[in-house]
Amino acid sequence: MKVSSLYEVLLFVLLILLQVLLLSRISLFGLATPVLYGYFLLKLPVGRNPFFVIISAFLMGLIIDIFLNTPGMNAAAITLVAMFRKPLMGLFFEKEEYEDFVPGMNTAAAPFVRFTLFTVFLHLTLLYFIESFTLFNLVNTLLRIITSAVSSILLIIAIDSLIYRRKSGEQS
Amino acid sequence: MRNLFNFIIRNSHWLVAILLVAFSFYLVFAQNAYQRSVYLTSANHVTGWLYTVSGNVSSFFLLKKNNQELMARNAQLEKELHAGIAQIDSLHTDEMIGINAFMPDSANHVQFGFIPAEVVNLSFSGVNNFITINKGRNQGIKPDMGVISQRGVVGVVANVSANFAVVIPVIHSKFRLSARLKHSENYGSLSWDGRNIREAQIQELPRHEMFRKGDTVLTSFSRIFPRNLIIGCVSSIGRSKDDNFNTFNVELATDFYTLQDVLVIDDRFYEEQKALEEMFQQ
Repeated sequence: MKVSSLYEVLLFVLLILLQVLLLSRISLFGLATPVLYGYFLLKLPVGRNPFFVIISAFLMGLIIDIFLNTPGMNAAAITLVAMFRKPLMGLFFEKEEYEDFVPGMNTAAAPFVRFTLFTVFLHLTLLYFIESFTLFNLVNTLLRIITSAVSSILLIIAIDSLIYRRKSGEQS
Repeated sequence: MRNLFNFIIRNSHWLVAILLVAFSFYLVFAQNAYQRSVYLTSANHVTGWLYTVSGNVSSFFLLKKNNQELMARNAQLEKELHAGIAQIDSLHTDEMIGINAFMPDSANHVQFGFIPAEVVNLSFSGVNNFITINKGRNQGIKPDMGVISQRGVVGVVANVSANFAVVIPVIHSKFRLSARLKHSENYGSLSWDGRNIREAQIQELPRHEMFRKGDTVLTSFSRIFPRNLIIGCVSSIGRSKDDNFNTFNVELATDFYTLQDVLVIDDRFYEEQKALEEMFQQ
């Protein structure tokens, strides 16, 4: 329990740094910006206390907002995603799964990919529509959502398979 | 009644989530770039420090290019200096000596000072972009000061903390600046449509205004920037909202992808001009 909570804090900090210092400065073809910090929500155990999930998601969004000078946008989007995390999980994972089952490529690849797809699309749709309240341009917004989501999903799946393959290799 | 309490307790995490989302939306809509708290922007101590560290690392990789640009700028200035000296020499005739007694101290006439600063953070992936620079109130930076780079206009200072300042760049959806083409006196309004960070739009130019590709775009009347600063050059004709006016796409002179060093313009007559103009607006 102790090790896993330390691991969660580390993931929280690393994802914020990665997002703020590297990924938010990328703008592929002037459109796609990978948004990876939602990965934190994907990697929490299935049965984690909803209060913890929602409040940690909000804090993460707020910290990223402070760094990127986008007051409230990331916080609103990620908190909404955290709200719908539980119902979404019910769609993709078996109900009788263990409480501290952690979704991942090594444990349940196909449901994890589907879950990632839905979560990231939800997150980015919310994020870009909240952002475009100030400047409405539907085609451009949709293009940005799709390109950013595809790049984020590819990155998440790649990182997840890399980290956890090595880990399970060590264990066996 | 017990059922109601049970229901509330069972679903209280939804309540918390809704409250947090409401607070976030409050932040989104209450944002006012000029009055926002310093603590919620990248000008605060912790974020400023972190961005300084990462800026130091990335500026190392751009040293060579920046050096070349500085050399080019140096050469340009030296050329102008020599031209200026030559002109002064040609004016130095004997009849000037008598008038010299009336010449006021030239130091009083310097309207613009420049404060060099380094970019410590820059966002360009959204439609509302910001730049954080490493000079603040302690170094004499105030809100509403103009910011330029060696190549052209960058933006306007929005928010100042003790040692950092946040700049709204040209590539921000709310940025407006009056601008004109070099060969004419008609001025239009420069803004950015959020698509391409190399290209802004100049709107509200009269219909008869002609352009050739590559025409220089300069600043016009503005409280913030001196006249005739370079903004960029015209690249193509854009979509216009109104038949009576033209819109041109402007290729920005400043390259926001590699922006490192900027100059903040300290206009010594700013307060005086502002006070005078506001006197008549009341």
